[in-house]
Amino acid sequence: MTARQRVQALLCAGALALLAVAAVGDRFWLQLFGKAMITCIFAISLDLLVGYAGLVSLAHAAFFGLSAYALAGLTNRLQLVNPLLTLPLALAAAALAALCIGWLSLRAAGVYFIMVTLAFTQMLFYLFSEAPWFGGSDGLYLSQKPLLSILGRPLLDLGNRTAAYLFIFAALVLSYFFLSRLLRAPFGRVLAGIRGNEQRTRALGFSTARYKLTAFVIAGAVAGLAGYLDAALYGFVNPAELGWRQSGLLLMTVLLGGRGTLYGPILGAFLLTFLEHYGARLTDHSSALIGAVVILVVLFLPRGVAGLVERGGRG
Amino acid sequence: MAEPILELRGLSRRFGALRAVDKVTLAFERGRVHAVIGPNGAGKSTLLNLLSGELRADGGSVHFRGEDVTRAPPDRLSRLGIGRSFQTATVLEGLTCEETLRLAAQSCLRSSMRFFRPSDRYPEVNARAERALGECRMTARRSARAKDLSYGEQRQLEIGMVLATSPQLLLLDEPLAGLGHDEALAVVDLLRAIAVEHTLVLVEHDMDAVFSLAAAVTVLVNGKVLETGTPAQIRASPAVREAYLGEEEP
Ligand SMILES: Nc1ncnc2c1ncn2[C@@H]1O[C@H](COP(=O)(O)OP(=O)(O)OP(=O)(O)O)[C@@H](O)[C@H]1O
Ligand SMILES: [Mg+2]
Repeated sequence: MTARQRVQALLCAGALALLAVAAVGDRFWLQLFGKAMITCIFAISLDLLVGYAGLVSLAHAAFFGLSAYALAGLTNRLQLVNPLLTLPLALAAAALAALCIGWLSLRAAGVYFIMVTLAFTQMLFYLFSEAPWFGGSDGLYLSQKPLLSILGRPLLDLGNRTAAYLFIFAALVLSYFFLSRLLRAPFGRVLAGIRGNEQRTRALGFSTARYKLTAFVIAGAVAGLAGYLDAALYGFVNPAELGWRQSGLLLMTVLLGGRGTLYGPILGAFLLTFLEHYGARLTDHSSALIGAVVILVVLFLPRGVAGLVERGGRG
Repeated sequence: MAEPILELRGLSRRFGALRAVDKVTLAFERGRVHAVIGPNGAGKSTLLNLLSGELRADGGSVHFRGEDVTRAPPDRLSRLGIGRSFQTATVLEGLTCEETLRLAAQSCLRSSMRFFRPSDRYPEVNARAERALGECRMTARRSARAKDLSYGEQRQLEIGMVLATSPQLLLLDEPLAGLGHDEALAVVDLLRAIAVEHTLVLVEHDMDAVFSLAAAVTVLVNGKVLETGTPAQIRASPAVREAYLGEEEP
C-alpha cells in the first residue's frame, strides 16, 4: 500500500466506525464522538492556515466562539430556530470577524502576527466575559436548539441526539472534501507557494496578501461551522470557547496530529478528545498528562501522528 | 531602430547615506540581451529589485512599454510581463518541479481565486507548465522535489519558473552564480535558446558568458552608469578596464 492508499483506507474505516456509533445510539458515545468530530472540523480549518499557508494564528478560537454566540443570540433574542437561516448568519459573522482580524493582523509577519492574533483573542475573551448581554463569565443557554421544519413537519431537529450526531458527521465529511479540493485547486497551490517562499510566489504574479487574507477568512468560516455545531450540540456557550487557551489547545491538536496533512489534525483531534476525557478519569492532573504526550510526540514524531501513518507504522 | 521595452529615467535608491543606485538612465531594447556588469556592491541587484518592484525607488521613473510602472508592486509587474529570477536560488520548498512550474503557469488564469477544480485540470495551465519544463530542460526531473535538486538544476528550474509566467522581459540576477564549469555551460546554452524569443536583462559576473550572450553591456560602478556599449566597445574601453575588468583579470 502506498502512503496515500493507507490514509484513504484509514479515513474510510474511521467514517464507518463513526456511522456505527450512530447506529448503536448510546448517549455517552454520541456525545463524545460528536465532540471529537467538531474538534476535527475546527482543527482542519486551522491546518489550512498553520499547515498550508504558513500562518500560525492564535485567533482561531475567536471565530469558533463568535459563531456559537451568534447562534445563541439569534435563537434567544430573535427566536430564529431555522438552521437554514441561523447557520449562514453564524458563518457570515465568523467570516466577517476573520476578515477584520485578518486584515489587521496580516500586516504583521512572523512572531508579531502570532502576538496580534493573540491580542485579539484576549480582547474578545474579556469582552464576552465582562459584558452582561452575553451572559458574562457564566455563558448562555440556548432557549431552543436549531430545528428545520417544513409545513409543520420536523425535517431536521438538532435537539435529537442522533440527528445532531449525523449532522455533525455530514459537516465533517463536507468540510474535509471542501478543504482537500480547495488545496488542490489553483487557490491552494498559491498557498503552497506562499509556504515555500512568499517573495518568490509574489514575483510570479500572485498578490500573496490577498491569498493569505482569503485563506484566513475561509478558515474562520469553517471554524465558525465548528462553533455553531458545538453550541447546537450542547445548547450552551461560554466565553472560554473564544479564549486564547482554546486557540492554543487547538494548535497543539494540529501539531500533534501532523500539520499540513488535513487527516493528521483529524487524528490529533480524536487523540486529544479521548486523552482529555479518560485522562480526567484517571488523574486530577489531566493537563499534565496531555502536556507530556504532546512533548513526546513533538520530540520523537516531528511530523506528528500523521508521520507514523505515512511510514506505515514501522516506527 | 528598435524601440525600448523598458526605460529608466534618473532612477535612484539610497540606503542611508549610501547611493546604491544613483540617477541611472538606461533603455533596454526589445529582443536583445542586455548585460549589466560591475564590481561587487555596484548596485546591480538593487537595480533589478527596483525594476521588479521588490524595492521602491527614491527618485526617477521606470517605463515599461511606455507605461509608468515606477510604483507598481512585484505581482503586478509580473502580470504585466516582467519576470525575474533571484541571485540565490529560491525554489519553492515542498513542491516538485512540475508543481512549481504549474503554479507559475497559473498566472495565465485571470485569477487563481479558484477553489474547486484541481489545478492540473486546466489545459492551458498544463500546456504552459509542460512547455516551460521543456524550455528549462527539466522534463526528466519533473517529479523531483525542488529542494532535492542539484544547485545547477535549481537554477534551471528558477529560469523555468520565470518562463512559465510568459514574460516579455526577463530580469536575471547572476544565473551562473555558484555553478560548476559544466553546469554553467548548460545554463549559458539555455539562456542562448531563451534569448531567441525574449528580451533579457542579464546581471552576471562571468565575463565569458556576458560577452558571448549580450548584444549590449552596461557597466555599473558605485550605483552609476560608467558606460554602455557593445561587448567590443566595453572590452576596449580604458575606463572600464581601470574601474572593473582590470581588477578581475591578472
Ligand atoms: N537592503 C539593503 N540595506 C542596506 N544596504 C543595502 C541593501 N541592499 C544592498 N545594500 C547595499 O547597496 C550596495 C549595492 O548592493 P547590491 O546588492 O545591489 O550590489 P551588487 O552589484 O548586486 O553586488 P554583487 O555583485 O555582490 O551581487 C552594497 O553596498 C550593499 O551593501
Ligand atoms: Mg547582486
